[in-house]
Amino acid sequence: MSSTTVISTPSADLATFDRTTSRWGRLTMIAALVMSLAAPLYLVLFADLGITQTQVWIAFLAVAAVFSVLWVVEPITYYPILGPAAMYQAFMIGNIANKLLPSALVAQAAIGAKAGTKRGEFSALMAICGAAMVHVFFMLVFVGLLGSWLVTIVPADVTDVARLYIFPSIIGGVIVQLVVSLKQPRVTLIAIATAGFVFFVLVPAIPAIANLATGITVVTTAVLAWFLRRKPRSDSTKEIS
Amino acid sequence: MITSRPGDPGSTDILAIANLPILWILAVGVFAAIILQTVVYIRAARIAAPAAGISSAELKTSFRAGAVAAIGPSLAVVLVSVALLSLFGTPAVLVRVGLVGSAATETASASIAATTMGAALGDASYTQSVFAVAFMAMSLSGAMWMIATLVLTPLLRRGDSRLRSVNPALMAIIPAAALLGAFASLGIGELGKTPVHILTVLTSAAVMGMCLFVAHRFNVAWLREWGLGCSIVIGLIVAYSLHTTGLMPGA
Repeated sequence: MSSTTVISTPSADLATFDRTTSRWGRLTMIAALVMSLAAPLYLVLFADLGITQTQVWIAFLAVAAVFSVLWVVEPITYYPILGPAAMYQAFMIGNIANKLLPSALVAQAAIGAKAGTKRGEFSALMAICGAAMVHVFFMLVFVGLLGSWLVTIVPADVTDVARLYIFPSIIGGVIVQLVVSLKQPRVTLIAIATAGFVFFVLVPAIPAIANLATGITVVTTAVLAWFLRRKPRSDSTKEIS
Repeated sequence: MITSRPGDPGSTDILAIANLPILWILAVGVFAAIILQTVVYIRAARIAAPAAGISSAELKTSFRAGAVAAIGPSLAVVLVSVALLSLFGTPAVLVRVGLVGSAATETASASIAATTMGAALGDASYTQSVFAVAFMAMSLSGAMWMIATLVLTPLLRRGDSRLRSVNPALMAIIPAAALLGAFASLGIGELGKTPVHILTVLTSAAVMGMCLFVAHRFNVAWLREWGLGCSIVIGLIVAYSLHTTGLMPGA
């Protein structure tokens, strides 16, 4: 650890690694953040679409009502699994649960590294690098080049139907996927009952709130799910013991 | 660059503004940021490998294993992305669906944003203005995820005890409730449109249910990743046949 030694020590090497990955991880993420916001901002400000600031804020607040909890909870949830360096990769590349985590686990298994060790952390990091490169390549080639070309040759009535019905054809599958993967039957029933009540009773009664229906459903579901939750069994065992 | 005023607020020709060269440049820029990050990380890992007790051969094995494992899930995302091209245009799909977000969160955000303008995704009310506001709203939401990561990662690294003391029941129930509430509401909203919409939602749900059942029952792991892609493709085929044969007068 002496400052006069020229041979780098393991802990100094790891400290350099931490410093490099967190500095460059942050810098590249901020760059991606700025560029991803610049694109829609260009349309809003310079495309002469007559969009007001109020319209943007209302739309953002409606989206925030639904997703703001996840903005904070997801990073906290994934941190123990990913570690600091991979956090900056994961939240930029996306598809964490269905692509990045499986890749990291496969890599750790391939070299016999345990999660939570330095070996495991490095293995996961390299696996996510590998996954990122495959994904970037596939997206640019199959979506960026082939996909764009495909849209130009597909008959207009097919793309019109795709545009019109893409949302219902996503939403049905996503709901089933969520219900199965979250395994929270009680919350699921509360959500469906609340959504049904808001849509079939509340909105017909007060048409002015139609645009807020999703936000109202989300907040009500969250409140009901919290107060109607199954109380942990540990409470009852405490009383017995 | 085209003209300085490419837009037409009332036009439903989304792709005219969604595929502007400047949007392509910015989308490619996001990809470049990821490539740069990967290169920096790999070099840093190589230098520190001995200190972490991992050989350079094992680093290479890990990279390759991660790359191979990502092929299937990545192609599944490709399929979903291509299906969304006519709705959002290539640059927005590349950045929002392919990277930062996911098909589910981004289409949900776009639908919620469109609703605030009294419009719905993909139909005659889905004008260039609605698209721009929806794109802005989903990008801001995606930015919040990244800002939360940038703020929370250093705090978590220092082992901030306040973050760890958050009630685990709260962490399990509230996010699940938010997601289920949002998608239940959006799903029921679709049921209120035309018979074609209703049948499309039901088809998509049934296909996903079958995929997940078969994946679980017969241990076919890849079906789980491809479930959404299958739901969308079969859902759209059903929608197309109902819509064009005119069997459904509601369309």
